[in-house]
Amino acid sequence: MIKNTKCECGHQNRVGTVLCEACGKPLYEISNPDELLEMRYDGVARRSQRSNPNFIDKIWNFFSSVKVAIYLIIITLIGAIFGTIFEQESNFVNFDPSTFYKEKYGAIGDIYYNLGLSHTYESWWFVLLLVMIGASLVICSLDRVLPLYKALSKQKIHKHMQFLTRQKIVYQGPIHGDAAQWVLQAAAVLKKKRYRVHVEHDALLAEKQRFSRWGPYVIHIGLIVFLLAVLFRGLPGLHLDKHYWFPEGEITKIPDTKMYMKNEKFTVEYYTEDEMSEEFRSTGKIVPKLFETQVTLYECTADCDDPSREPQLTEVKQHAIRVNDPLNFKGLKAYQFDYDLTPKLRSVQPMLVDKVTGEQYGKFKLEMTNPERNFDVGPYTLELKNKFMDFSLNEQGQPISKSKDPNAPAFLFVIKGPDLPEEGSQYIYFPKQIDKERFQQDSINEKLGGLQNKLVLDVIGMEDVDFIQSSSYLNIRIDRAMPYVWTGLGIVMLGLIMGFYWQHRRIWLRIDGGVLTLGGHTTKNWFGMRREVASLLKVMGIDVEEKSLDNGGNRS
Amino acid sequence: MGKARRPVQIIILIFIVILGSYAIGSAVLGNGSEKPQIGDKPPAVKLLGLDGKVHTLDDYKGNAIVINFWATWCTYCVKEMPALQQQWEKWRDQGVVILGVNTGEDKMTVQNFTEQMGVDFPVLYDSNNEAVVRYGVVPMPTTFFVDKKGKIASIHEGELNLTTLDDQIKQLVKP
Repeated sequence: MIKNTKCECGHQNRVGTVLCEACGKPLYEISNPDELLEMRYDGVARRSQRSNPNFIDKIWNFFSSVKVAIYLIIITLIGAIFGTIFEQESNFVNFDPSTFYKEKYGAIGDIYYNLGLSHTYESWWFVLLLVMIGASLVICSLDRVLPLYKALSKQKIHKHMQFLTRQKIVYQGPIHGDAAQWVLQAAAVLKKKRYRVHVEHDALLAEKQRFSRWGPYVIHIGLIVFLLAVLFRGLPGLHLDKHYWFPEGEITKIPDTKMYMKNEKFTVEYYTEDEMSEEFRSTGKIVPKLFETQVTLYECTADCDDPSREPQLTEVKQHAIRVNDPLNFKGLKAYQFDYDLTPKLRSVQPMLVDKVTGEQYGKFKLEMTNPERNFDVGPYTLELKNKFMDFSLNEQGQPISKSKDPNAPAFLFVIKGPDLPEEGSQYIYFPKQIDKERFQQDSINEKLGGLQNKLVLDVIGMEDVDFIQSSSYLNIRIDRAMPYVWTGLGIVMLGLIMGFYWQHRRIWLRIDGGVLTLGGHTTKNWFGMRREVASLLKVMGIDVEEKSLDNGGNRS
Repeated sequence: MGKARRPVQIIILIFIVILGSYAIGSAVLGNGSEKPQIGDKPPAVKLLGLDGKVHTLDDYKGNAIVINFWATWCTYCVKEMPALQQQWEKWRDQGVVILGVNTGEDKMTVQNFTEQMGVDFPVLYDSNNEAVVRYGVVPMPTTFFVDKKGKIASIHEGELNLTTLDDQIKQLVKP
């Protein structure tokens, strides 16, 4: 059925138009002719309203419906509730979710995990709902804002009588004098009230703060930016949330970035007995007061991707990382997470001593990783032949290393020099006293050639031993989507302010044979609007009770 | 009026579908472990070799690659070394490369070990554990078999003996 959408004023309206786009005459006759007009979107048709929609129009119509949008939001909220029943997987580092939920919550926990609710906010259906809300936001807005913009930018001044009398604020009454003159006078008054006034003979249109009509759409734009930022946080390079160990005194590469970080010093302080309350002391707990990792952050400037060269590092930042005081460099943040106070041997500086005379020939530095291979000490030359970080003997009695950590380091040298065979003499050296005894350094050396009776390698004092005192476990985070999230929220706030603190107020009036008809409309604050109209009429010499202007009804 | 609007409508809908499916797709795929699976492309790595040169997987494009993660302190890795060496000698002329990725040990340790074992297939240093993390290697040894098309054909955790290794490589070389 084709509806006749032509108004009596001659304007051809689109399907779905409520009020004639030109004169404002209601196009649908309602049972009660005194009922207030439907002023939403100024009575224009939404874009998607078509006489015979096809497939694409149907999708478009689905998303352009505010009702659908509200259902989507409600479903999303309910879905989000499920994610709050038990803790989410993303809260944990290094754990096995397949057993965790069952062990902690029993059968319900297992069901929860198997339904995928342990990662509700990353599940496909939740993301789908967010995408649908996003689609709804875009389509709802486009469907309304464009027709509304057009309607508001080409308003007719002379409106249909019914359009005025069926507004929420209405005044009708006789005036004295020339109609055109009266209108001009009223225009001057309204201009003082900061209305923009358009006059046409004996009709007038005054409006102000039209921009507040765009508030909701600005909110929608902000929400779209926000949603896009949240959905696309997962793009490579935008998001990183990992935990790494940083041994003290070492420069460690932060994987997947160009940054290197040196843990300069890690400090942990505990509350002393005096600082604890009586009650707490009785629990016997040791409570840390401070964890602090002094770090220097370096950026790699050259040779970063070439493992055959040393990366060129430039210092970019120093910071003392404490709990709640992360390092922050261009969006890369490092949070204190954990620590390990087990010391690890880094290097020793043993002294070569003549066992017989006690003469000290000199010290040399022996690094645990990548040590130098040749040392000249006094008249002797030492060649490092092999090293074992975690010394042990295998089933065949051969020396092996049990791990790569320097738990029980051992170094095998070939020593050449005076009174030694030309091809040199083998000598094994355990830097740790405990290992010397455990593995019987002397008896191994006896078998290797008996050099232990002639020469001895030994550290003289603690200053010759260098330890990695501790390691700090830091949480490295990059969240480059955050600025977009904040921008989105900022735009939302702007839209809220636009829509909340201002109202689009309009006054139409026309004079027909000495009778003034005035209609007023605002988006909210009808009280203020009535007051403004009453004060206008008062200046024009018409005294009306503010409340009498109210045409009743609840439509806004 | 209506005619001009149709393409805009379609463009917006297409845009929403593309962005939406990307978001949902990455949500679904992102949940899976980051470990490479059978059928995936092996993660790209750039490592320094024992020969002092930089090696990448692209250097061996078109070859079947056996990527073996090992360390000198890992007993089973040490045990399977001779098998790897033997297979390297057997298959190297048929487009099979064996890459031994040492996990975080220093030059001296690795050099001594390979000399001692008589290993001469390419051995690479993974000093920052980057490859270990990329490949999600937990137990050692772990071996990835990459076919000539550059896809992971199988992943083996634990010691390989001569026969299983031979079988696996045969599978890779089979056209």
